Amino acid sequence: MSDLASAPSSVRADSPTTGETIIDIEGLNKWFGEFHVLRDISLSVNKGEVVVIIGPSGSGKSTLIRCINRLEEHQQGKIVVDGVELTDDVRAIDQIRRETGMVFQSFNLFPHLTVLDNITLAPIRVRKWKKSKAEERARYFLQKVGIPEQAHKYPGQLSGGQQQRVAIARSLTMEPKVMLFDEPTSALDPEVIGEVLQVMVNLAKEGMTMVVVTHEMGFAREVGDRVIFMDAGQIVEVGSPEHFFSNPHEARTRAFLSKIL
Amino acid sequence: MSVVIPPRPAPVKTQTAGYWMRRNLFSGPFNTILTLLSAVLVVWAGYNLINFVFIEASWGQVWRNMKLFGAYRYPTEFLWRPLLAIGTMLGLMGVMAGAGGRKSIVGSAFVALQAFVAVVALIAIVFWPSVRFLWPMVFVLGAIGYGLGSRWPKSTVKQLPWAWGAWLVFGYLVLAGFTAAGPMTKVPVRDWGGFLLTLILFTGIVPSFPLGIALALGRNSKLPAIKYICIGFIEIVRGAPLIMWLFIASLLLPLILNVDANSLPAIMRAYVAITLFSAAYMAENVRGGLQAVPRGQGEAARALGLSAWQTTLLIVLPQALRAVIPAIVGQAIGLFKDTSLVFIVGLVDFFKVGDIVSGQPEALLITGGVKLETFLFIASIYFFFAYRMSLASRQLERRLGVGER
Repeated sequence: MSDLASAPSSVRADSPTTGETIIDIEGLNKWFGEFHVLRDISLSVNKGEVVVIIGPSGSGKSTLIRCINRLEEHQQGKIVVDGVELTDDVRAIDQIRRETGMVFQSFNLFPHLTVLDNITLAPIRVRKWKKSKAEERARYFLQKVGIPEQAHKYPGQLSGGQQQRVAIARSLTMEPKVMLFDEPTSALDPEVIGEVLQVMVNLAKEGMTMVVVTHEMGFAREVGDRVIFMDAGQIVEVGSPEHFFSNPHEARTRAFLSKIL
Repeated sequence: MSVVIPPRPAPVKTQTAGYWMRRNLFSGPFNTILTLLSAVLVVWAGYNLINFVFIEASWGQVWRNMKLFGAYRYPTEFLWRPLLAIGTMLGLMGVMAGAGGRKSIVGSAFVALQAFVAVVALIAIVFWPSVRFLWPMVFVLGAIGYGLGSRWPKSTVKQLPWAWGAWLVFGYLVLAGFTAAGPMTKVPVRDWGGFLLTLILFTGIVPSFPLGIALALGRNSKLPAIKYICIGFIEIVRGAPLIMWLFIASLLLPLILNVDANSLPAIMRAYVAITLFSAAYMAENVRGGLQAVPRGQGEAARALGLSAWQTTLLIVLPQALRAVIPAIVGQAIGLFKDTSLVFIVGLVDFFKVGDIVSGQPEALLITGGVKLETFLFIASIYFFFAYRMSLASRQLERRLGVGER
């Protein structure tokens, strides 16, 4: 097949800008049983960069970013986050998880804790902050995501959009160096997607390093520094948003974009 | 042009008693016959029961043996010791109730228990000179606990699980005694019995709770040694009836270990058997709860940097336990009644006392015997406690459904 020939299985997705690398992935391979889900992934992300990963479902996008904080274990290759290599060493894993925030498709707020307790739990237990400091920072970030008045409610009393914004505030309060977003708007009603995206746009503009798996092309176009297209477990094409939305090279990319745009 | 339709009140259903009866009881010839037949049956059974309870029955035998029902052969002069243990238990429960308020689940259960104690205390003041002041003492201890609980700060009340653990030890020491003479004279365990013994065996649920949680977590462990030990324990214990474990603990174990059967009192052996049996079931209940917690919960906690232990203790376990509280209360009710099986290994619990009382020579002389009276009495006491627990469980279920989902 001609499009496969023109797309070698290991497209490198290194950061085009010079700067401090914060995520460095080299020759990453992963299998679920017999299924080869990630194939020769090489990718680096610089500080302050916003990388958007797109692709059809089952292409390995979520698995890739879940490898970055070891929610999924990789079998081959090397992942270095903030100078620490991910191995079986629990201390390395814990250190990387402290420095990376993650936002999930299904929010995953803790239903038995109030919004404030959801947010302050990890800072108090992991960062060993005093309760007063954790609460003050929590309120700051709740203000930032636009729902300071919900601090004492339980997650079940909030709308989906509010829950996702709490989840973002929960991650931000840990003051991570990298934020990972795993389809943050896919479980939301169309009318509240905007409020979550706005929070993410603001975050990007403030210089947060972000890796975002999403189907929101508008977001990719507005704030993405780089877009990565994945299909069948490999990186097919890398480029700027302009490149992607005006003249993508690969036939697979074109086929995918024509279906969703 | 669209007009905003103003809200209208929902239609009110007007239903008379006659309408309800026609609709639900007499909606056809077949249903009418069924209704009439059931009515006859209910009236007949009700009449006979009331007739028996208030006219035919001779309650004297039950009434005269209240001491046996309560504490069996526990020496009358030391009855203050079990009652002190029960009083401190009510006190602890009162602290929980006071902290949670009268409307809380523990609170309403506590009020029901206090009402029961108050009735017994009134009877004791009038009829039972040996415990005339002791039952009121139990009531007062409960009330003191309630008062303390409603005043103490939350951080103090949170230490209560330790207090319950301490109470188990304290209760045992007070009951067993530790001196040769004086107020704390040793009371041989074989003299413990009656409702006191039923209560003691029922407290086996307390240690079985942490044990069951540990077993459930162990069963999910990644370490094969721990995992298979836990699975083996749970499956073997659940694979045989409680009565068999009681036999093994009471009769076979001393033989197998080749020790004197009296080196550990029979009650203690039964207690351990009941606790371990209950722990195995508890473990399976908790495991069900662990499975009900979505995977994403653990992932979110780990992604925030919480350790595996923190994730389990702070995120997964609280949600898992919350999901299975009704099942755990159900298990408690079952265990409460299953303690009556210990009569099979020669222990004299509340149930067995009924057998003894109705077989006493003076009872045999009463026309018709007193078996029915005795067991009606026993059944109503079991029912009071089991139903009270069941009520608490339903309140819990309703409360867990609200707000925190």
